[in-house]
Amino acid sequence: MTREEVFEKVKEILVETLSVDADKVTMDARFQEDLETDSLDLVELVMTMEEDFGIKISDEEAAEIKTVGNAVDFVMKRAEA
Amino acid sequence: MTASGARPYVSPHDVTAAWSGAGGDRVVRVVVDAAGGDNAPAEVVRGALAAAGPQTHVVLVGDEAVVRPLVPVGAHVSIVHAPDVIGSHDAPASAARNKTESSIVVGLKLVHRGEADAFVSAGNTGAVVAASLLYVRRIPGVQRPAICSIMPCMPAPIALLDIGANAECRPEHLRQFAVMGQAFAIEVMGIPAPTVGLLSIGEEPEKGTPAVIEAHQLIAADERVRFYGNVEGRDIMNRLVDVVVTDGFTGNVTLKTIEGAARGILTALRSTIDLSVKTKVGGLLLRRDLLRLRGALDPEEYGGAFLVGMNAPVIIAHGSSKARGIANAVHQGRRGVVSGLQGTIARELGTRAGAV
Repeated sequence: MTREEVFEKVKEILVETLSVDADKVTMDARFQEDLETDSLDLVELVMTMEEDFGIKISDEEAAEIKTVGNAVDFVMKRAEA
Repeated sequence: MTASGARPYVSPHDVTAAWSGAGGDRVVRVVVDAAGGDNAPAEVVRGALAAAGPQTHVVLVGDEAVVRPLVPVGAHVSIVHAPDVIGSHDAPASAARNKTESSIVVGLKLVHRGEADAFVSAGNTGAVVAASLLYVRRIPGVQRPAICSIMPCMPAPIALLDIGANAECRPEHLRQFAVMGQAFAIEVMGIPAPTVGLLSIGEEPEKGTPAVIEAHQLIAADERVRFYGNVEGRDIMNRLVDVVVTDGFTGNVTLKTIEGAARGILTALRSTIDLSVKTKVGGLLLRRDLLRLRGALDPEEYGGAFLVGMNAPVIIAHGSSKARGIANAVHQGRRGVVSGLQGTIARELGTRAGAV
């Protein structure tokens, strides 16, 4: 998957699963401050990412994912590994 | 819309009696968390057995070695093994994600896979909410689920939401709670045309926190909601409206304050009656009314609070639930499945996904 494809997929999860406003989802958007998601939303996001991308994300790794860009980078890095 | 002071008395039993037989011959499968609550597993299993029947199949989830001996042969109950337990001190989100062998997670996954229709637990509330979000998932368009409690009021019960799923709520969340609470009152409580009030510190629309003031405007503009306007704390037990909407923090404080006050008044009443022969005679004359009042205030009557906004009914029973409470929670779950609640919420909120 290309970076753009991963971004689109993450955006889809945010919009469809967490009802986040699509216009607000950019690479720089911070989950808590800009997208107004709470800690439970982030767990939901991480678990949906695990399912949709077929990867594992530990609690420690999940804690480091603070922006949409972080999430995309994480998936790209895991895909390369 | 008028105040509902002249309504006839509706006992909790009038509400719950319709639950166990709801949906006629339709077979409904309700998962019961055998490990959840202060009285698990004995009372929980007893309650599950009392509620189970040809049309209500109960799936007990817990440690099979513990649960199996409690279930007689021939009961309309099956057992699914889950060796782990999420305790009351476990952090909800982390436990819901990582304790995959726990009764709560195993049970909710059964619902997610379509192997069961509803879920009942008297266990860790936060973990049930978190695991429901992860495995049962919210109805598309629902921004936050809410815990909706049937409040024992005289002369008839009301719905109060949210009582604790979301400590902080945005105005749009409160609008969605109004829509979901109204649907709950119709579909689960059987109130044909419920009125909805927003809890605040004054009846004027401009009273309250900024979030409440904005929520008032949003709910008032939503023509599908039979919105009464703001209600104050003292109006709840006066039963000014059928549904009271608030954030989870305020709702939880409100519920527990009312529960504590009701208990205090009953205790005071009992000690007054015990004072003299004269009051004892009076107390005897009032006995039926007092028992009715005690019944109306008993949380076991409804069994638990309903997590509205999820794809399937999730009933959060009181941690101290006894068998009767669990049985009524199962009945409420059944009613939730056969009612049009999930469909109504999907229709009302799904088409407006993302609307603010």
